[in-house]
Amino acid sequence: MRFTSVLYRRVRKYVAADQVGELTKTYSNLPDRYINRVMRQVYHVYPKGPQYTKVDQGKDDHFVFGPERPWEYEFLKRNNPADYSRKFKPPPLIEPIKNWNIFKGDRVEILVGKDKGKQGIVLQIFQEINSVIVEGLNTYLRDMNQGEGNKFVIKQEAPLLVNREVALVDPSDLLGCEVEWRYTEEGDKVRVSKRTGRIIPIPKAAYETIDFKTPTSYKENPNKDTKEADVMEVTFKPSLSTFEMDIMKEQNIEENRIPVKSFWY
Amino acid sequence: MHKLQSVTRMPLSCSMFLCQRHIQMLRKFPIQKVAAIHTTNRCLDLNEFFDEHKNWGASEVKVGRAWKKEELRLKSSSDLHKLWYVLLKEQNMLLTMEHDCKENHVYFPNPERLDKVQDSMENLEDVIRERNIAYFELETTHTGERPAELIDNAFGLKEVYTKTEYDIPKEVNKVWQEKNPPVNNKSRAVQKFLVLLREKLANRRYAQLAKDKQQVARIFANFKDVDAEAVQEKFPNVDVEEVRLSDKARGNWAP
Amino acid sequence: MSSRWYPIYQKGNPQLRIFLPNFWMKLVKSKDPLPPNVVEFHVPLAMTNHDIKNYLENIYKVKVANVESTLENGKLKRAFGKIGGFVTKEEDYRRAIVTLPKTESFTFPDLLPKEKTESDEKERKKMQKQQADNFKKYEKRANQIPGVPSWFRY
Repeated sequence: MRFTSVLYRRVRKYVAADQVGELTKTYSNLPDRYINRVMRQVYHVYPKGPQYTKVDQGKDDHFVFGPERPWEYEFLKRNNPADYSRKFKPPPLIEPIKNWNIFKGDRVEILVGKDKGKQGIVLQIFQEINSVIVEGLNTYLRDMNQGEGNKFVIKQEAPLLVNREVALVDPSDLLGCEVEWRYTEEGDKVRVSKRTGRIIPIPKAAYETIDFKTPTSYKENPNKDTKEADVMEVTFKPSLSTFEMDIMKEQNIEENRIPVKSFWY
Repeated sequence: MHKLQSVTRMPLSCSMFLCQRHIQMLRKFPIQKVAAIHTTNRCLDLNEFFDEHKNWGASEVKVGRAWKKEELRLKSSSDLHKLWYVLLKEQNMLLTMEHDCKENHVYFPNPERLDKVQDSMENLEDVIRERNIAYFELETTHTGERPAELIDNAFGLKEVYTKTEYDIPKEVNKVWQEKNPPVNNKSRAVQKFLVLLREKLANRRYAQLAKDKQQVARIFANFKDVDAEAVQEKFPNVDVEEVRLSDKARGNWAP
Repeated sequence: MSSRWYPIYQKGNPQLRIFLPNFWMKLVKSKDPLPPNVVEFHVPLAMTNHDIKNYLENIYKVKVANVESTLENGKLKRAFGKIGGFVTKEEDYRRAIVTLPKTESFTFPDLLPKEKTESDEKERKKMQKQQADNFKKYEKRANQIPGVPSWFRY
């Protein structure tokens, strides 16, 4: 049945960006097109044109995620397309989670490891592997050997599972608690501590992106960005004409010739 | 044929975790664009192919996001026409700078700028197409797009056939008739082929389902007290309750 | 009509016009020495010499005396550079040699100014030295108190 495989080969839709967590994307402020372009694992490139076969020229699923961003070099190393042995390794299991409870800037208590019982602030979130990094806790010494005369060691935080190894801290009694999502009378969705019933507000740091801390504090690039007033200005006036007719009218191009009848089949 | 499905992702509307008020706060995201509509004509000749002088050799160039369709719908035709050339020049500038960086083996700062410009250009073209379709439907009752038809091809499969323009009708066009002889896709051979094809696709589907079931069983065996609803959401084709009670889903703990 | 489908030409039809050209154009530094009034561009294959001239004159307002162009093959390279991957071919392009009028001259600017690269290099070396010093300090303390877990050394 080789014949059918030829018939059913087609260019697949890009799905790489769909696998990246929403929190990762909103923090990075990157467009989907860029994420797809960077993550795509090319295995051959055909020239454009009708004479060339339209087969799948790359792979954009079954990635192995780790404690790094999908557009970083470490991610490419982890998913090395030149490494043939990677094909036979089973992908790591990741537990499906319904509600994501912990955000950047939250105070959490660590439940496992050498820093068990300590509290710290969430620094980074890796949504794809269900884990967070807590500032200065659960660390290991990492050897950063960069050749002769350049030896040094850094303290690196190891990621912790968000639903099993970390608990959110209740602000009323500063103890770890289980969290539930409920609605207030105003219709807002809020996190509530199961033990005390107190609302745990989402910290401001959760809305930080790589470009600005708060949306209002973003500094516009004067030579590149359009000002908000210019964007919101409405210049569209409905008229019975196409785009081409509008432009020709504006440039005083007169065209009275009527196209000859043509046939479509 | 309508080609209006390519809707761009709204970067902030999808934060499913956050409450309504926070989404509203996020919507106040400053409206930044990749390029402005220049009212005055800057004439810099060939220097327009290069970035501003202060960005030469810079490690980071921060810019805003791409133009959305909702914003482009507010603009008149002449504004869109001007904006197209601004975007085109920006794209040429970025390609030039990227090429130079590649030649010198250095990192090109913020490569996503190119994608933002291309997204904007795609959105702009879509908005213009929307307007033209509206005009044509009002005046001529058809869309004015290139016509397409859903047909059964020679192998009995459904296919979207995009038509081509010719100056003479089909009946007279001998060349076209020779190239496109009438096909019989009701023949015995085609029917047999379709049966085999359906079988193959069904087998593939069953294999995928078995794989998914195995994955679900592994999840239940490895994680104690895992949320069954979340698993069902991730694997909609699998009967999760059935797999959970099966022998394969038992972990190394007392039930 | 979609803006990327051009109708066939028949006698008596209105003139075909392009309002939204989607050709890209790169200005590149030539590897061969060129006279001061000659510039090199990379453009898509579909562009003709006439198109290039019109593009530069109408969009960039540059006067063009002559255009010559050749087709070039895209480079063969590894898909992921240093990491490796499959051998892929970049897209083919058209290399255009554009002659400006004799009175004008153009020199390709240095897009990586030396001052900036030097200062970056200095900063990097300074950071490296600082890190090495910190590590030496850490080692010295470790030798003073042997047997104590590493957690107490910071």
